[in-house]
Amino acid sequence: MTVDQSNENFSHPLFEYMEKMPGLDVAMTTADKILNWGSRNSLFVFPMATSCCGIEFMAAACGRFDLDRIGTVARGTPRQCDVMVIAGTITVKMAPRVKKLWDMMPEPKWAIAMGSCAISGDFYRNIYSVVPGVDTFMPVDVYVPGCPPNPDHLFEGFKRLQDKIKAKRNGEWVEPETRPVSGMQMPSVPRYGTDRDPAYDQAQLMATQQMGLDGNLLRPGVELPKPVPPAPEPAPEDATDGGDA
Amino acid sequence: MTWAEDATQLAVDRFGLEVCEHEGPEVGADQLVAFARALKDELDFCFFVYVVSVHYPQVPPVEADAEAGTEAIPGIRDRTVVNYRARRLANADRPTETFAFRTTVPTGESCPSVSSVWVGADWQEREQFDLVGTVFSDHPDLRRIMMPEDWPGHPLRRDYAIDTSHFPWR
Repeated sequence: MTVDQSNENFSHPLFEYMEKMPGLDVAMTTADKILNWGSRNSLFVFPMATSCCGIEFMAAACGRFDLDRIGTVARGTPRQCDVMVIAGTITVKMAPRVKKLWDMMPEPKWAIAMGSCAISGDFYRNIYSVVPGVDTFMPVDVYVPGCPPNPDHLFEGFKRLQDKIKAKRNGEWVEPETRPVSGMQMPSVPRYGTDRDPAYDQAQLMATQQMGLDGNLLRPGVELPKPVPPAPEPAPEDATDGGDA
Repeated sequence: MTWAEDATQLAVDRFGLEVCEHEGPEVGADQLVAFARALKDELDFCFFVYVVSVHYPQVPPVEADAEAGTEAIPGIRDRTVVNYRARRLANADRPTETFAFRTTVPTGESCPSVSSVWVGADWQEREQFDLVGTVFSDHPDLRRIMMPEDWPGHPLRRDYAIDTSHFPWR
């Protein structure tokens, strides 16, 4: 997607007036700092809790750990939320609903993939109905690995998200997180397919790209095919033929 | 004599069925609804517990090989076994009892629905249709209930490939 640069020299009488006002730029940067502070310290969470990670999220929200003390409140509607915490296995039937709820959230918004199922579909990765990671169809800012992660880990994930928001609002470049590689020891009993065929991952990511779903395409071990460049436009005949027509 | 034995008696005497000890009687598809109706009306099995379909794919028989010393293995014909269980609730005179029965249909052919007898069988038969693909004739609303509406195939059949793709979600 190309950035529209036609508004580079945008001017407005109000802006010209504001530029002339003494001290307003200082006030604006101060206000920006306050907005930055408020933005990262009042993260309203939409808990997309589908399974046991949701229980850990509830534990984190309850009195012993108390998500409220970092200004994080769980809300029941995506319209009021800044962060979506995907806590649990997302199935093929649930995925369009998750995507719809994600699209309903107002900008700016962030997503936390909590637990190994949301990150990669861990145990259930080979099952016909489970999405192998929510980052295939939506952007994920912070990965919180664990099965399920403790409330401490979730707090650490929120801390990382706050750092990211702070840096981004200050205009700094933040390296996007990639999906963490599982260090889990596989069970010794044989089971059907301990890993998914990378060809499926590639095919699925190509399909999501074609559908316009913006997942995190950075993936260790999966090489995406390069997009086909558009065909060059035919040169106008008038310029080449020299006015024969 | 407990009520489950009464149900066994009903199956043997009136319907002429052979009763297996653990799995209950094998009821023909043509008299399934009549049997379920008799269970509910006469023996008070008013509570429907489950219906579970099991798909057995076709396995060709293996002939005996004298040189290798292997024995002959009979083949399995392609069929779907539909297992039912109904419960009779307890009262002051008797404890609660369950009674299981089953029917066998060739895969792809329809099985009569017992949702006219037990209303609770409605959604469970939809689930079995969704996952195993058993078609229940005379069912009021036979649609998918768990998988997405546009899902191809029935995933709990034995011949279903587990790594079936479903773009773009999988």
